[in-house]
Amino acid sequence: MNMKWNFVASFIFLLLILALPMKTYAHGARIEYTVDVTIEIVAMYDNGEPMAGAQVVVYAPDDPSTPWLTGVCDDDGCFTFTPDISKPGIWDVQVRQAGHGDMVHIPVGEDTATTAAPGGYTVFQIILMSACVIWGFAGTTLYFLRRRA
Amino acid sequence: MRKRVFFLAAAVLFVVSIIPVGCVGGDVEVGTLQFHANGEDFVRQGFVSKDGWSIDFDHVYITLADITAYQTEPPYDPHAGVNINGKVTVSLDKVYTVDLAEGGEDADPILVGEVKNAALGHYNAISWKIVKASSGPGAGYSLVMIGTAEKDGKSIDFNIKVDEEYGYSCGEFVGDERKGMVQEGGIADVEMTFHFDHIFGDADTPMDDELNVGAVGFGPFASVAGGGKLDVDMVGLQSKFSAKDYQALVDILPTLGHVGEGHCHCH
Repeated sequence: MNMKWNFVASFIFLLLILALPMKTYAHGARIEYTVDVTIEIVAMYDNGEPMAGAQVVVYAPDDPSTPWLTGVCDDDGCFTFTPDISKPGIWDVQVRQAGHGDMVHIPVGEDTATTAAPGGYTVFQIILMSACVIWGFAGTTLYFLRRRA
Repeated sequence: MRKRVFFLAAAVLFVVSIIPVGCVGGDVEVGTLQFHANGEDFVRQGFVSKDGWSIDFDHVYITLADITAYQTEPPYDPHAGVNINGKVTVSLDKVYTVDLAEGGEDADPILVGEVKNAALGHYNAISWKIVKASSGPGAGYSLVMIGTAEKDGKSIDFNIKVDEEYGYSCGEFVGDERKGMVQEGGIADVEMTFHFDHIFGDADTPMDDELNVGAVGFGPFASVAGGGKLDVDMVGLQSKFSAKDYQALVDILPTLGHVGEGHCHCH
């Protein structure tokens, strides 16, 4: 009994220590940074002529049917934008002018996107996960039953 | 012993109750994918060719086969000039002859066919072939253009028959909206678009534009018509056209197939 209360008291004491405000210094320095990825596209016709003034539509990977950004190419057929790096995946950029058009697909943070992609489990992974869940329930049940027996 | 059986039964019941939910959900995750063919306003409303002929189409019969939509990752690039390698495919298994001029000036693109149990996802590539029809109004030909051309009070009723066959591999539709996104229980579509201004040119486009530079125009067709009528096939055109005009026609016909404004790889 005493051991139990000692453990609880120690745990509460540890929480209090962790919750105390840390000492701050008046002349401390702090640097924050953000990482932006700027993408520049250059649109031109097959003959090399720039698509000056062409319409640009940018689609983010989390909502590929709704334009995330629209704009026009400059006189050199260039268009620059900064994607939201919190939305990793394939960013699609469509450029159109006078019946001509094309679409380019630009990966942004693909590694993260792959990790965060929902529903991307293989059949083997699903079977393995199901087996683990079943074994977890069965094992836990048998464990408690053994103690009580 | 009873408790043991009770706990085991409860555990099994719980697990069994979870598994079917996932399986049933997987079975219904389909939607409908429609395949459209579109001759655009050039066919539906008519247009003026690069050499000033006002062209109106009564019928434009085109015969389509091996129509397949794909989910590709990475997205298919038609400029690479290779075949499409799709993770998921949906196909129409028949040969279809459609009239691209069907309906009024504001008619919708022609519905070629649909697949109602298409797997969910974004169908961002499509391939199809233009083949010679074995029956129907376009029998023996892959493309038949029937209509009237007028210029300076002169009128020519034309029936131009093409028996060339082409295969197209295309990426995603390029246009006002994104196509091919099949959601559960929903309807999405992909489109085979045909640019007839590539053959005849377009008076509304600058004459030095690549489109008009490569187009044949209607003048060469008019020059081989007789009595206000032109009924001709490729063999006839080869014998009547100048070598330059015939070669221009042969070169431009494969560029008919598009996905909206997006170009395709023709093979």
